[in-house]
Amino acid sequence: MAEAQIPSLLRPLPDGIVPAEQIARTEKRWLLLMVGMLAAMMVVVVVTGVTHAIRPPSNVETIDPTTLHLSGEFVESNLGTAPEPDGSLTVRMIADQYAFVPDCVNVAVDTPVKFRLTSTDVIHGFLLPATNVNTMVVPAFVAEVRTRFTRPGVYRMPCNEFCGNGHHGMWARVNVVPKEQFQALAPTERSSCVQR
Amino acid sequence: MSDVTSDVTHHSAAASLEHVAAPISSDDAAEALKHGPRGALLVASIAVAIILAGWLAFYFLLFLPRGSIG
Repeated sequence: MAEAQIPSLLRPLPDGIVPAEQIARTEKRWLLLMVGMLAAMMVVVVVTGVTHAIRPPSNVETIDPTTLHLSGEFVESNLGTAPEPDGSLTVRMIADQYAFVPDCVNVAVDTPVKFRLTSTDVIHGFLLPATNVNTMVVPAFVAEVRTRFTRPGVYRMPCNEFCGNGHHGMWARVNVVPKEQFQALAPTERSSCVQR
Repeated sequence: MSDVTSDVTHHSAAASLEHVAAPISSDDAAEALKHGPRGALLVASIAVAIILAGWLAFYFLLFLPRGSIG
């Protein structure tokens, strides 16, 4: 369309309509605002990380995945929930294609719980909803995470790392029960709630 | 390419000048922008403030109360 036919009101605005110094000042202020915001977020993360002793689950502990079932911590009879002398609980599980073993564990509410997991085959994921627990389970390494459940209930525990064709069916449960109820359970019931 | 033909003639929205040209004269635009794009800054600031408030809310109300796992 010829320039002469365009009404002046509808003509596209020319470049350079905002003064260059105004653009530079605006960009500088916006940049300062962004840097200030990132700095504030970094300060929040570092200060709370130090004061709350927050650190990633960086447990570097190796294990031979080919002999898990023969000896050591992850033999079948040692899997599930075990009480510790200090009153806390340790849950040991194995992840393999496509199940957690055991696939249901009992723990007590308001009690420190330490999960120790390892894999026999490929990388799996371990996630507990409504908690911060979320870690990878890598073969030949022992993943260790700690948490404390504040409310009783059944926590569905999916494998959240794609591990093969049956990944979508790889689920387990953590059954969080009141302390008195947990104490009343027989030792075999305490270690797992797998339906036999 | 599709072999489907149509009797209807389609036009891009950009074919109409009022859809792509500024509905303001250059002089008026220069006057409105002489202190910089304040309206755009206000909208962007509100958007960023909402994002930051959401991040702080998640961090202090959800992440910290759930405790450290390491």
